[in-house]
Amino acid sequence: MLTIEGLHLHQDNLTVFKDLNAAFKPGEFWAVVGQNGVGKTTLLQTMAGISQPRQGRVQVAGHNLFELDIAARAQQVSFLLQDQEPCLAFSVRDAVGMGRFPWRSKKQQDQAITTAALETCGISHLADRSILKLSGGERRKVEIATCLAQQSDFLLLDEPLNHLDVVYRQQILKVFAEYSQQRCVVMVCHDLEVIKHHCSHVLMLMANDCYLAGTSATILNQTNLDQLFDARSE
Amino acid sequence: MAVTGKLLGQWWFWLLLMMLLVVASLTVGTVSVPLTALFNPESEYFNIIWQLRLPRIINALLVGGCLSLSGLLIQNLVKNPLADPYLLGVSGGAASVQLMVILIGLSWSQHGLFVAGFVGSLLATLLLLKLSYEGRIRPDKITLNGVVMAFGFAAFISFMLTTASGQQIKSMMFWLMGDLSYAQPNVLMPVLLLISVVALFRRHRALDLLARGELFAIKSGVNAHRINLLVFIITALLTSMAVAQAGTIGFVGLIIPHLVRMMAGYQHRQLIPMCLLVGACFLLAADTLARTVMSPLQLPVGIFTAMIGVPVFLWLNRRV
Repeated sequence: MLTIEGLHLHQDNLTVFKDLNAAFKPGEFWAVVGQNGVGKTTLLQTMAGISQPRQGRVQVAGHNLFELDIAARAQQVSFLLQDQEPCLAFSVRDAVGMGRFPWRSKKQQDQAITTAALETCGISHLADRSILKLSGGERRKVEIATCLAQQSDFLLLDEPLNHLDVVYRQQILKVFAEYSQQRCVVMVCHDLEVIKHHCSHVLMLMANDCYLAGTSATILNQTNLDQLFDARSE
Repeated sequence: MAVTGKLLGQWWFWLLLMMLLVVASLTVGTVSVPLTALFNPESEYFNIIWQLRLPRIINALLVGGCLSLSGLLIQNLVKNPLADPYLLGVSGGAASVQLMVILIGLSWSQHGLFVAGFVGSLLATLLLLKLSYEGRIRPDKITLNGVVMAFGFAAFISFMLTTASGQQIKSMMFWLMGDLSYAQPNVLMPVLLLISVVALFRRHRALDLLARGELFAIKSGVNAHRINLLVFIITALLTSMAVAQAGTIGFVGLIIPHLVRMMAGYQHRQLIPMCLLVGACFLLAADTLARTVMSPLQLPVGIFTAMIGVPVFLWLNRRV
């Protein structure tokens, strides 16, 4: 289980959210929703161990996330970044294989898992291409495959559907749903239809440090959505 | 063509080529020397080989390896294949402090210059990082800041050379142009180079991940701050050793890592040994040309690397 307790989220020196509490368990597919700038990305970065909170705790499997060895942390939590960083021209296969770094496992095992991740994401045919020669959508698939190859217990996805076409969105959402059967997926998403159909739980971050956490069925009602967007949702 | 491409990506091919270049470099020059003189103390050429050519060859190999490897590291650091310690001012920082140490009269010894150069390149790298750090290193900022710093150091070196006395200038000009004529082999250099290579090679997978992006590396389980620190120190060390031996030789650190990536791919398991070998071969070939094309006049090797480097840089800049 991954829990956040009394978490304050900061962007630079600005506090964007105060006193957030939630628990994420294997078998759950969470959506994090909220208006722009409310701290969704910062929350995921904190849960991934990238940015340390000034107040509050993140615990994973009973350990303080920030006291874990950095490789052990990556074994527990994988994170899909919202934006791609500038990088050098690795092949797709090598790039996806980097997801195996925290495991220090045997080369053959790493190769088999990498191949499986490429197939799951439907990018086996791109395996030998440079990641710099891919379209935005193809590059997104590579990043998702890298996270899948990491095989961590908690998969954190920051707007994973960006750049993806309609057909592929459905395919990859099924992959996330399957992944969440054994493990836990937490996805920042703005598409309420997607959340209704695919996510079991919702964390709704609202103005004035208010939030709601629970099953999709209980959270996604008109009253809460009105409060979230401060206007009637279609 | 495919066979040639495959051959160029093999480390043993470059090792073989290096041996051939060493043999060629031993024999050609102002005076043509037969190879048989190598182990014949009675030969009139024996001293030319052992006291002039072999030390210069060893220096060219070591300096080439150091520059190429530091180019690879700095390109990884700034995520830009067009970066190089010369272009980003790291070499300039080393040369500036070394020149100051000489002018003040603190040290002329090789070890003294190594230390001075190390301090200079470390300070230049730290300044570069300080100016380019906003929560994390900004690759776009670091490149621009580095180029401007390189100009600043070049101006500072020119100022010191202009204001120094005539006798001092003569022996110091090579810092600005890059020249292997004055260098004597230093036993510390191969030892530190070997330690650096081993330290880097042990972390080749982490370096791969860092080349994919700093945030990516951190979230994938790499202690990016520790690896970056190691990379800074080794870059500064390799650059300072190269500058102490041969002045500021440009473009080796730029061209070689890029060419090696084209030949051997992007994984540091291959890149580290290949950069070392190809960089060594390149500088030895360039230095052999520098001392033979206008023989008996010996040209500074930096002129040759720049003549090759500038068009290659412009070509690469179109491709990247």
